[in-house]
Amino acid sequence: MEIVEKFSFLVLPLILLVASFIILLGKKKDYFSSFLKGATDGATSAVKLLPTMCALIVGVSMFTGSGISDFIAHILSPFFDKIGVPSEIFPLILTRPISGSASLATFGEILSSNGPDSYASLCASIIMASTDTVIYVICIYFSASRIKHTRHALPIALFISILSIFLSCILARLFF
Amino acid sequence: MLGKCFSIFCISSIIYSLICGNLKDLCDSILKGASKSVTVVISIIGFMAFWNGIMEVLKSSGAIARLSKLLKPILKHVFPKSFKENVATEEITACISASVLGLSNATTPLALSAIEKMNATRKSNKATNDMVTLSILGCACFNLIPTTIIAMRVSQGASITYEIIVPVWICSFVCMVVGIILSRIVGKISGDC
Repeated sequence: MEIVEKFSFLVLPLILLVASFIILLGKKKDYFSSFLKGATDGATSAVKLLPTMCALIVGVSMFTGSGISDFIAHILSPFFDKIGVPSEIFPLILTRPISGSASLATFGEILSSNGPDSYASLCASIIMASTDTVIYVICIYFSASRIKHTRHALPIALFISILSIFLSCILARLFF
Repeated sequence: MLGKCFSIFCISSIIYSLICGNLKDLCDSILKGASKSVTVVISIIGFMAFWNGIMEVLKSSGAIARLSKLLKPILKHVFPKSFKENVATEEITACISASVLGLSNATTPLALSAIEKMNATRKSNKATNDMVTLSILGCACFNLIPTTIIAMRVSQGASITYEIIVPVWICSFVCMVVGIILSRIVGKISGDC
């Protein structure tokens, strides 16, 4: 696992190294101004998240604060435990296929209430990073071209997102 | 969709608290949630700005175009019909490269124009096999660095940060391959539209 760890820390510096050389040696144009333009876009899209995050984090923290999520988790936990999925990530499983910002809010809530290095948080991190919001993606992709029959797209996408939940939990146990 | 999520969360928690009588906890969680959203967003602004800036440098220097060229021989087998008829191949490769690099803002518009181009010569409102494959790749695409997730973990004081990259790669790679294989098998059995 140590090699894996070292390798993980190499990816970002390597990309940064390539980008730095481009900024230093690129003659076609001023690449630092491209950096500034991209950074402005990134900051803007992060700020644009605030209104949605505000509503949904309140929603999710009510869901956990009122005790209803514990109640649901308590009902489901024998089943979830049997398949190795921690019941704390249940709200994430609900929101992940539907909305990116809702699941990001749920994810933040899981991190802060369970501690970011807990098993549940690690599973949640892998789930968040490895699959996208499947229902949302399929709606957006096909609605623009007015395609109504998406055929096998949705069943396969849902299957993948379930697969990613199991796989994430297995990998979290294997790696950490 | 978001509105429904939000109201279901609110209604179910309020009803549950009324039944259990823990309204104080509920009120606390509303206040805490609202202020927490600001902390979460502020803590990820810096990293999102930085990463987006670096990606913009790579994009404007043509690194993404080069990556597209590398991916083309592989994608030929994933989208056989589009590459045979040479329809929307530029968009497909650019879309996949952008999502590998985590440029989520660029991925969706590219995918939309790819599907639009594939649909331009047809009258049917049914998705073709290649469209289905593309949408599944959009759902489970291999992502080089999960920036937002790492930024959120760091902001919450995690000690395991970049180490999640390798399990994430394994997970999304397996999901992606399974998705492509399933999509191709089902597409072959049901025939193309």
